[in-house]
Amino acid sequence: MDQNPRPKTIIETLGEEIIRIITPVSICMLLVVILVSVLNTDSSSNATTISSMATMAYAENTSDSIWDKIKGALLNSLVFVAVVTAVTFLLVLLFYLRCTKFLKYYMGFSAFLVLGFMGGEISLLLIQYFSFPIDCITFGIFLFNFTVVGVLAVFMSKMAIFVTQSYLVVIGMLVAYWFTLLPEWTTWMLLIAMSLYDLAAVLLPGGPLRLLVELAMSRDEDIPALVYEARPIVTDDSGLVQRRVWREGNLSENQGHSSNEGNIVDAEQGRILREDSELAAPLIQHRISVRMNSNEDSSENIALEGIGLGSSGAIKLGLGDFIFYSVLVGRAAMYDFMTVYACYLAIIAGLGVTLILLAFYRKALPALPFSIMLGVLFYLLTRLLLEVFVVQCSVNLLMF
Amino acid sequence: MENDSRNPNSSITIDETNPLTSPSRRRSGHRVEWPTIDGPLGLSPEDSLPYARRFFKLGFLCLPFLWAINCFYFWPVLRRPQSDPLLRRYLFGSAIGFLLFTAILLSWAFTFAIGGDHLFGHVWEELVMYNVADRYGLTGWM
Repeated sequence: MDQNPRPKTIIETLGEEIIRIITPVSICMLLVVILVSVLNTDSSSNATTISSMATMAYAENTSDSIWDKIKGALLNSLVFVAVVTAVTFLLVLLFYLRCTKFLKYYMGFSAFLVLGFMGGEISLLLIQYFSFPIDCITFGIFLFNFTVVGVLAVFMSKMAIFVTQSYLVVIGMLVAYWFTLLPEWTTWMLLIAMSLYDLAAVLLPGGPLRLLVELAMSRDEDIPALVYEARPIVTDDSGLVQRRVWREGNLSENQGHSSNEGNIVDAEQGRILREDSELAAPLIQHRISVRMNSNEDSSENIALEGIGLGSSGAIKLGLGDFIFYSVLVGRAAMYDFMTVYACYLAIIAGLGVTLILLAFYRKALPALPFSIMLGVLFYLLTRLLLEVFVVQCSVNLLMF
Repeated sequence: MENDSRNPNSSITIDETNPLTSPSRRRSGHRVEWPTIDGPLGLSPEDSLPYARRFFKLGFLCLPFLWAINCFYFWPVLRRPQSDPLLRRYLFGSAIGFLLFTAILLSWAFTFAIGGDHLFGHVWEELVMYNVADRYGLTGWM
């Protein structure tokens, strides 16, 4: 007979879950900051402009006036948001027509493109920068292994959780690095536009992501998408410490104790829901937005944006959120490390606020608006006000 | 009753032998030995064998990393000598394959890196990756 250890306090379970979502976000941001600071120092950030989907409307030039840059950046981001909206509606349509297999294959294909091509390019840039004496055969084998295992990790439902999570973080990092290559004003406008789009798409009744979530809930299916799911807390208790309503899977035949194990306890609200072999209220709330991640063709990542509760009660955060948080911090790194620290704290604070709201409302929420708005605000404040203060204090040997 | 964990479309699956949903198992004292490193969140003992076999066979496509992942995922099975012998055979095969392939690959890589053009002559310049990247313009896409 198992002797239950003392039940975990809410700080341990709640804190553990929050840590399990903040750690990968922080790791992704750290990796992007490292990449940006290593690879972007040899060429000035304004000189490398890439022509891509996001700069279709206006290619930023350093000699333009500020007003031209703002107008151009606004145009670029509007075009980008329009394309993303269109593709998301297409996704809703495909999901409605039950083309789930196609979506899964597409997800695997886009993971292959990101890991193979973008991962390969970035590693080539690093090899060139460090003049690492690796030969093409070894490099080819490494890249091939990395890509194929990554596609399997994203594609297959049962793979080591650690491997899947690491690959999702790497995919987020690669796409985020690509976004930091865009011109400066375009990047900031794009971030603000995407957070407004996220807010609209998830909360408005006609928004594509809300439609997708409601479709998925009504059919009780999972949307095939790239989403980071934190490892759920496995407790030893029979269910009293479960903090969320669990979705009871279909009981297998050798269990045979369906009556009293059919209780699931929602410890936060103290209700006990009785369920039978049918599924209880589904909890997966997803939102999907599609990212443009390459400039060759319209290859898209089916990224999941926003935050929700998984079927096992674990927190799910969409890969789009990873990407845009890292883009913000990467852009901040292109200026100075002081802005990096400020933006990192702002993003984590925004994520914390979003998690609190998630606990209150228990439905899919957009994870971008709070963090991005706070991040942009802190970036501007740091760059315009804090830096002057800190530099003057340091120069006069007063503080810091 | 359909088995929810075999649904290929669900990226999050519920293991029906999950003790969180089958607390009766633990109360009755029967401990399930989880074969994967994820414990109750991973594969059930019945599902492990076809999984390990598939990874073992796929690894022969020049994918030693897949063999390494196989061993990593089923690490508890490797450590416990009393688990499924068939499964252990596949895992040992994967481990040996991974070690062999890595030994060969690393020895070649180190020979290449340390030998340099003293050993290889002109061919070194042709094989090294940064020259190959320059020659074919591989970094010009972004």
